[in-house]
Amino acid sequence: MAADTLFHRITDYANRADPYPLYAELRESGVTRQQDGSYLVGAYHEIAALLHDPRISSDRRNRTAADAAATCEEDLPVSFIAMDDPEHNRLRRLAMRPFGPPHTPGRIDAMHGEIARIADELIAGLRGKDRIDVVDDFAYPLPVTVICRLLGVPREDEPRFHAWTQEIIASFDPTPGEDLAERQRSGLESRRTMGRYLGELAEKRRGHPSDDMLSAFVNDEGPDGRLTQPEIMATSVLLLIAGHETTVNLITNGVLTLLRHPEELERLRRRPELMPRAVEELLRYEPPVQMLPQRSPLADIEVLGTTVPKGAPLILVLASGNRDPLRFRDPDRFDPTREDNRHLGFGSGVHSCFGAPLARLEVQLALTTLIRHLDNPRLVEDPPPYRRSPVLRGPRHLPIERDTTGT
Amino acid sequence: MNIVVDLNRCQGYAQCAFLAPQVFEMHGEEALMYLPVPPEDQLERVRRAAAACPVQAILVGEEAGADVR
Repeated sequence: MAADTLFHRITDYANRADPYPLYAELRESGVTRQQDGSYLVGAYHEIAALLHDPRISSDRRNRTAADAAATCEEDLPVSFIAMDDPEHNRLRRLAMRPFGPPHTPGRIDAMHGEIARIADELIAGLRGKDRIDVVDDFAYPLPVTVICRLLGVPREDEPRFHAWTQEIIASFDPTPGEDLAERQRSGLESRRTMGRYLGELAEKRRGHPSDDMLSAFVNDEGPDGRLTQPEIMATSVLLLIAGHETTVNLITNGVLTLLRHPEELERLRRRPELMPRAVEELLRYEPPVQMLPQRSPLADIEVLGTTVPKGAPLILVLASGNRDPLRFRDPDRFDPTREDNRHLGFGSGVHSCFGAPLARLEVQLALTTLIRHLDNPRLVEDPPPYRRSPVLRGPRHLPIERDTTGT
Repeated sequence: MNIVVDLNRCQGYAQCAFLAPQVFEMHGEEALMYLPVPPEDQLERVRRAAAACPVQAILVGEEAGADVR
C-alpha cells in the first residue's frame, strides 16, 4: 500500500490496540507527504534532531493552512506548549517557579508520602473485589487527586473539568475527517470555560496565599515578574490536563504490559528497587504520548531526503522512534533492565515534558503499590478497549481479575 | 555509594534535582552541583534520579561507597 495512506491507517481506530506494525512501515518508507498534506517522521535520530532544531516551530500560527486550534484571542492566549522561544521560555520559567528547581527544588520529592497514601487508599477501597477496572478504579483517580492538590483545584469538581478535558483532547486529535473543524470549535469553547473556571480559582487566592501552584501564580513574584491573568488561565488549563490525562495512560499501559509479561511483573514484585528503570522502559515501549502533532517548519527543510515545505504540518511519531532498530537493540522487546534507554517518551529539547518528574514518581509508586497488592492478577480482555485518541493513547478500561482469598 | 555525573553530557533537564533534591542541586537553570558521596539514606532517591536522567549522565557505584568512606 502506498505510504501516503499511512497517517490514515495510524489514526484509524481499528489500529489503536497495536499501531506498532504501522510504525515499522513508517520507518521503512522514510518521510512522505500524506493525503491531508502532513509529513510524518518515525525514525529516532531524525525525530531527536528535529526536536532540537530551531527551524521547527510548535506554534500553529506558523502553518500555511490555518486551523481553529491556532486561534489566539486576547482573553485566552495559547499555552506555552504551543509557543516558540523566547515567549515559550518566559512562560515555562514562570510556571516552573513554584513547581521545581532552581526556585522550588523540594516540591515533588515532598509529595512522595502523599502519593503513596493516595495509592494505598485506592487499593483499600477495592477490598473484596475480585474484578477491577484498572482505569476507573486506580489509574485515573490517582493522578487526578494528585494534580488537584498540587494546583489547588477542588477534587469534587472532577466531573466538570473531566468533561471539558475530553472536548479539548478530541480537538487536538489530528485524525483527518469531516468533523475535525467541529471538534476544534467545541474544544476551543471548553478551553475557554475551563480557563475561566481556573482563573476564578486563582483569583480567590489573591492576598490569601495557600500551599498550591494557583496561589503561587497570583501571589509570588520573581525576577521575571509574574503571569498575567490570561496567562494564568492558559497555563493552568495546560497543567491540569497534562497533569492527569497522560499519567492515566502511562499507569494503565504499565499494568497491561506487566500482565503480558508475568515474569517481569514477578521480578518487580520481588525487587521494587528496579521500578524506576522499568518505568523508563514503559515510556519507551508504550509511551502515553504517541506523537507530537503540532510542529511545522519555519523554512523548507530536508528530512531523510524529502523536502518538508515551510508551514506544512510535521508530525513526530515518538512511539515509532522508540522502536527504531537503528537506535535500540531488540526494540520490540519489553526489557525493564535495559541499560541504553534514551527514549523519547517525554519528548526532548526545550519542550520536553514539564511534569516528567511528577509523572515518574506517580507511576513508580502506583505500579509498586498495585503489584504488591494484586494476588494472581489476570487480564480479562486482551487487547482491552482503547480510548479514541491516537495521540494520547491508552486503554479506556482495563478489566482484570485477581484472587481475593485472604484480603 | 558514590556518584559521578558526566557534566559534558548534562543538558540541564534537572530531573535529578527534582527527584533527589538533597543530593543534586541546580545553580541557576543550567549548572548542576551534587554530592559525590551522598548519605546512604538517599540511595532510593539517587536511583530514581539516575534512571530519570534523559541523557543518562549519572553513574551510581552502589558498592564503591564503602571504599570512599
